[in-house]
Amino acid sequence: MKLLRVVGAVALLGIAAYVGYRLFSHPTVNVGESVAVYYTKGDGASLARWNVSLGPARDRPSVAFYAAVQAVAGPPPDVPAIRFPAGTVVRAVDVKGSTASVDLDGSITTAPSGSLAESGEFKALVWTLTALPGIDAVQVRVDGARVPTLPGGHLELDEPLTRQSW
Amino acid sequence: MNRSRAKAGNRAIVFVILALLAALSVCRLPARADEATTDYWFGGTRLIFEQPQVTGGALAISTTDGGLVRFLGALGATLAYQPGQKYVVITTADRRTVAFDVDSPRYTVGGIAQSAPFAPYASGNAVYLPFVALAKALYVDAVPDGDTTVLQPEIGSLDVRSEKRATVLTLRGATALHFKRITGPRDSHVTLSFSGVGSTLARERSIGQPALASVVIASAGTPKNPTTVVDFTAAPGSAHALLPSDSSNALTLEFAPPGATVGGTPLPAQGSTLVVSAPSQPRPAPLAKQGPQLPTPGPSATSPTMPSATPVISAAPVQLTALTSAGTSDGGFDMHVSLSGNVGYEWHRLPDDRWYVDLKPAVLAVAPRDESLQDDTVKSLRVKGFIGPRDHLPTVRIAFTLTSPRVVNLIANPGGATIAIDAVDDANPQRVGYGQITDGRLVASAETPAPLPPANEEPVPVPTGTWKFAPPPGYGSRLIVIDPGHGGSDPGAEHNGLVEKELNLDMARRLRALLVSRGWIVEMTRDSDIDVYEPNDSARDELQARDDIANDAHARLFISVHSNAAPSVLAMNGTTTYYYKPDSYAFARAVHARLAADLPTKDDGIIKDKFYVIAHATMPAILIESAFLTSARDAELLHDPVFLQKIALAIAEGVGSYTSAPPPVSQIPSEDGGR
Repeated sequence: MKLLRVVGAVALLGIAAYVGYRLFSHPTVNVGESVAVYYTKGDGASLARWNVSLGPARDRPSVAFYAAVQAVAGPPPDVPAIRFPAGTVVRAVDVKGSTASVDLDGSITTAPSGSLAESGEFKALVWTLTALPGIDAVQVRVDGARVPTLPGGHLELDEPLTRQSW
Repeated sequence: MNRSRAKAGNRAIVFVILALLAALSVCRLPARADEATTDYWFGGTRLIFEQPQVTGGALAISTTDGGLVRFLGALGATLAYQPGQKYVVITTADRRTVAFDVDSPRYTVGGIAQSAPFAPYASGNAVYLPFVALAKALYVDAVPDGDTTVLQPEIGSLDVRSEKRATVLTLRGATALHFKRITGPRDSHVTLSFSGVGSTLARERSIGQPALASVVIASAGTPKNPTTVVDFTAAPGSAHALLPSDSSNALTLEFAPPGATVGGTPLPAQGSTLVVSAPSQPRPAPLAKQGPQLPTPGPSATSPTMPSATPVISAAPVQLTALTSAGTSDGGFDMHVSLSGNVGYEWHRLPDDRWYVDLKPAVLAVAPRDESLQDDTVKSLRVKGFIGPRDHLPTVRIAFTLTSPRVVNLIANPGGATIAIDAVDDANPQRVGYGQITDGRLVASAETPAPLPPANEEPVPVPTGTWKFAPPPGYGSRLIVIDPGHGGSDPGAEHNGLVEKELNLDMARRLRALLVSRGWIVEMTRDSDIDVYEPNDSARDELQARDDIANDAHARLFISVHSNAAPSVLAMNGTTTYYYKPDSYAFARAVHARLAADLPTKDDGIIKDKFYVIAHATMPAILIESAFLTSARDAELLHDPVFLQKIALAIAEGVGSYTSAPPPVSQIPSEDGGR
């Protein structure tokens, strides 16, 4: 009986520790069952959104990463939209304070877009991430490093982008 | 007591045994040949996984497994996973997403929830995924073939939509779709044979549209060499065409009823094989190359600068080794300049009684000077060295502020030159001169010196306050910098036989000629096919160099001229004006109003965007995307010099309506900014 009590106590402590860890190291975001993902229409300026359903994970880093990947993928293929170059991969998303840092892999520098497309791509990414609670700005990185701009479109990227950037 | 202790002990033992059994039931063992076989074939070769596991009877493959990486790479799919997080997202070549949740069997394919045979689980910095479920989501079917399993690419979806009277169908496959047309152009059936792909789509699908009755899909062949035939039953006399697709994995066909027309391109002839091509992307070529030469205005339309025809004096800069100055007995002023060799010169007289000469290529071997003089002829003199913002040549500038429009003569002599300023005024002064100082002789350029704008010749004072948008204090109020986008090692977009850097330069030269004729002083960031900073430089260096030209000269306005490009599937066309800073909006609005009114292109409006060149210019700055190289209609216009002239004229008119007119010459602040 005593052994069972010990086992039970240890289990309770473990559960409490896990819950505490989740609460304090992975704060959850209140985004419901889906996230809003934006895309830029072919006119290069106007935005549209669609909702992408979320799995059970609601911690902020996971949701931000998921939203960023969906924004880079763009809407379903039959929807005309400005999209990131094929093969663009989101390496990581790191949220510090109200700024999400999105690290893209270097392939984006070898398949540059024109100014219209590049602007539309990042506009969609910024609007998607800043739709998440607590995120106001997006710092773009490429292969882990800050870049002033990309070949092709020349959108300025060395400072965080916000919705007011457009 | 002993009995209860014994019972408790027994319970504990039972608990431990049950826990062990439970642990064993979910334990991941290395895959065995007879269980979720790992002998997979894909694309004619064995697909070898490095560390496969079997979980819940299904094959589990790590996100970092080389076999999975090769498999996804062959399909053009990408995988995104950040260690420690809960989502793994695979994006297909045609932008469908497959999203797995770590620790949950739920996953989504294009947003539609599915259930996996096991919950993906993290292991180190990777996640093990249910491989067969993933392959199926990517339109790859696991087909048994004896002792092996063939991963067979499929045509995985057939989407049908109506557009007006036409019917548009899109087939999507796992890989690029190669097809051969079986039926001829007069048949009411359009039958296409796709090699190397199977299909598990429904065999027959009724469409019931005026142009298209039904689609029948049938697969045959072996697991390793499948063939799928798709037969479209069209209405007799209907038209059909191939439309641009968003990916090489997709094939889009349009069927229109009799009498209606179709866009796109005709299907290949009977027996011809076609691979769906990926959409064209605006992509600069790696190296500069010459495109078709379009008629352009010559350099004579330039602002008063040293023409390119000026002989090159020396590759290495000469040294200015000594400067001596003294008043003359007749009230004049002489400055003797000692030079180590032959050098080019270019002098300018500004309307506010300043006169300066640039020697290039040359460097100062003496200290710079900036002195006020108590002299009846010269108020002050300045001597400095700098790198020319346009030609990048080391330059020495000697500048005087005169008490009145004095006569100034540049006289060559052995070892250098003398600037002789007389104590009398020049009744009809020249504004500019250039040439070379060679072996003690002054060799003026054979070309007619480019005149300053007419407004400089006879300045008409206009009261301050008539300008709608007065320039900030200290800005070069007559100077406009035009930036022809791209150049040199960066050709910009290339489509339809057009090269963006050449078009941009052509339009910029036309614009310069118009602005100069209207009294503006114009500086170009480049006037030939060059990189402004250096070949193959970073985008930031290149763009900042263009801004530096405008910022250093305190230009009044900055106009960056570009041509646009977009993926062909978007069918974009039209003219756009970009601005970023609030002080640029009125300028953008004024110019775009004329562009929209005067050009036959579609009006794509004014867009705020943080493009580097317009964000870092310190004066009102706009970036004009004249038209789309990627649009067949726009490209036709861009091939026409008349259209290019219209663009330049519209921009010049817009500048005029924004500023009303060049400001009075009295506002020219300095020789640095007044050139």
